[in-house]
Amino acid sequence: MKRMTRRAALGAGAGAGGFLVLPRSLSRAATGNAAGFTDTEIVLGMSAAFSGPSRGLGIELYRGAAAYFTHVNRAGGVGGRKIVLRTYDDGYQPNPSVENTVRLMLKDRVFALFGYVGTPTVTRVLPLLKKFQDEKTYLFFPFTGAQPQRQPPYGEFAFNLRASYRQETGGLVDNFVAVGRKRIGMFYQADAYGRSGWAGVRRALGKYGLKIVGEATYRRGQKFTSVMRRQAQILKNARADAVICIGAYAACAAFLRDAVDNGLRVPIANLSFVGSENLLKLIAESQDEPKRYTELLVNSQVVPSYEDASIPAVREYRELMRRYNPQPPKELLKEAYTPFAHSFVSLEGFLDAKLMVEILRRMGDRPERGKLENAVFSVKDFDLGVGVPVSFSANRRQGLDRVYYTVVDGGRFVPLDDWKGRF
Amino acid sequence: MKIQKLFQKTLFGIFMLFGVIGISTSMLAIYTVDSQLTEEYESNARGVAKTIADSSVDIILNRDLSALQSLIDQFVEIQGISYIYIINDSGEYLAHTFVPGIPEEILRGEGHGAVSVRRSLPGMGDFVEVSSPILAGVAGRVYIGMDTGLVALKIQRAIGQQVYLFSTIFVIGIVAAIWLVNLAARPVANLLAYAVELAREQSGAADNGVLVRDDEVGQLARLFQYFSGTGDLPAPARPSPATPASSA
Repeated sequence: MKRMTRRAALGAGAGAGGFLVLPRSLSRAATGNAAGFTDTEIVLGMSAAFSGPSRGLGIELYRGAAAYFTHVNRAGGVGGRKIVLRTYDDGYQPNPSVENTVRLMLKDRVFALFGYVGTPTVTRVLPLLKKFQDEKTYLFFPFTGAQPQRQPPYGEFAFNLRASYRQETGGLVDNFVAVGRKRIGMFYQADAYGRSGWAGVRRALGKYGLKIVGEATYRRGQKFTSVMRRQAQILKNARADAVICIGAYAACAAFLRDAVDNGLRVPIANLSFVGSENLLKLIAESQDEPKRYTELLVNSQVVPSYEDASIPAVREYRELMRRYNPQPPKELLKEAYTPFAHSFVSLEGFLDAKLMVEILRRMGDRPERGKLENAVFSVKDFDLGVGVPVSFSANRRQGLDRVYYTVVDGGRFVPLDDWKGRF
Repeated sequence: MKIQKLFQKTLFGIFMLFGVIGISTSMLAIYTVDSQLTEEYESNARGVAKTIADSSVDIILNRDLSALQSLIDQFVEIQGISYIYIINDSGEYLAHTFVPGIPEEILRGEGHGAVSVRRSLPGMGDFVEVSSPILAGVAGRVYIGMDTGLVALKIQRAIGQQVYLFSTIFVIGIVAAIWLVNLAARPVANLLAYAVELAREQSGAADNGVLVRDDEVGQLARLFQYFSGTGDLPAPARPSPATPASSA
C-alpha cells in the first residue's frame, strides 16, 4: 500500500468561501446513516489521484464537479439536501483504490460512488460492487473509457457518461487510415488501461485487415523526467507512420519529447484520459521550441472544446468555474499544484456532476439507492447542454458517444477539422 | 609458538580435512539449494500459470483484454515472477508485462510451446520460463518467467552463511589443535632436552621435571637415566586395566 487515504470534504478551501466543507457533525450524521443520505445531505464517494504523477487528473475532475455541486448547494441543494463529496486519494494505484472503496461503502456508507479516475483502479473496484450488489451502490461516471464497466459481468453496476476507449481509438484509427497512415504503432501504459486502449486499436485496425506494427510500453507512475528513448526507438525501428499513446500526461509528454528528439516525426495521438492541458504545460515549460513537439500532436476528447462558448454547457461551466474557482481538498494535496482555469478534464467533471444532480432530482424527496437505477433509466433525451441528447436504459449505460479531436495551435488545444491538411 | 616437527603433519592433516569437509559440504549445499529452489520455483510458476490459464478462458472468450491484463498484473507482483505473457492460438500477444517492449527473443517465438525452458534475455537477466495451455491449448498459452537471479542470490546467501559458520569453526579448531599439539609436544621436548643433557653431563643433568612424571615420558626419562648409569632400573609400568595382570 503506497498511498495515504485521508478523508476530505468537497470544496475544502474552495475559492468562494469554504462552501461545501463537510463539518464533523455532518460527517458523523452521514457515517451514521446506512442509506448515504440524511435530511440535510446526500453523500457521494470519490477515490481518485490527488497525488503522484497523475494527480492533475483527479484534481481537475474534482474541481469541475465541485463547481457544479457548489452551485447547486448554494441554490438549496437537491430536495433541500446538500451534496457532499467524500474524497480519498488513491494516487492512481489499484490497491489504495480498493481500500478507499471498502471504506466508502462500508464505513462512510455513501449514497453512490462518483468520479473515480483510471482503468487499473476501476477494474479492481468493480468486483466490490458485485460483492455488495445487495447494497445497490452504483459507480457513476468514472473517468475511464475502458470496457469492464461497460459490459458483463460488471457493467450493470456502473453508469458512464463519456465515450469509450474503443470509440476513441476507433475514431483515431479511422482518421489515420483515411489519410493514408496505416502503419500504426502504440505506446502504452503496461496495465489494464494501456491494454484497454491497445485492444481498441487492435480491434479498429482489424476492420481494415491491419495490425499494430510496433508497440512500446512504460510502467505506470512515470514522471516527465523519465527517459523514453528506448520506446521511441522501438517505434522508429517498426517504421510506424503514426503512434497512438495510451497513457497519462507525464509519461506521454516524456515520450513525445524523446520521440521528436530521436527523429520520430510522425503524428502522435493521445486519448482523452491523458490530461491534455497538463501534457501541453509540461512540454511548453520544458522545451525552447514547444511547437516543434506539438505540431504533430493530436488528442481525442470526449467532451467538446471548453473554448467553444457557443455551447451552452461550456458557457455555464466557464461561468461557474470563474465564480467559484474550486480548489482541490487541501488535506489530500501532498505536492504543489496550480489548477487550470479551464480544462477538458474539469469540463468532464462538471458535466458528470450536472448529470448526477439531474438523476438525484429525479428520485424525488425520498432518495433511495434502490431507486437509483430507475432514476437513471428515466433519463431520456436529456439536454446536458453539449448539443447531444443524453439517454440511458437497461441496454444503454453510457450517455455520450461522440469523440472530438484536437490539435495544438497558438499554444492551446483547438478542434481539428481537417485531418488531411494537418497530417 | 613453535610447532614440533613431529606434530606438523598432524596439523596439516587436520587443515586438509577441514578443507575437504568445507568444500564438499559447500558443493552439496549449492546443489541442494539450487535444485530445491529451482524445483520449487518451477512448481510455483506452473501453479500460477495454470491458475491464470484457467481464469483466462472466460476473459479471452467473453470479456475485454484489460481484464486479462489486470489479472496478470496482480500475479506479477509475486516475488520471483519477472514477466508474464499470454499468446492466443494464432500467436498474437494478448497481454504481457514487458517494459519497454516484448524482447526480440520472445517475439521470435523461440521455445514457445515448451512446458519449461531457460531463457537469457539481454538487459533483463536469466529466467526459467514455464507455460500452461489455455483451454487445452486451443485458446492460447500462458507463459511465466521466473528470475533465476533470485535463486542464485538465495544460493549465495546460503553458501555465505555456511562459509561464515565453517570459517569460525575452522579458526577455533585450528587454534585448539595447535594448543593441544603443543600441550602434548612440551613433555617430549623436555625429554629430548633431558636426554641430550644426560648424554653430555652423565650426572647432574637437569631433568626439567621429566623424571617425576608417571606417564610414558617419565618412564622413558628414567630409562635414559638407567642406561646412562646414573639411575636404577625403573619399575615396570603398571599394566593398564585392559592388560592381563600376569601372563599365564
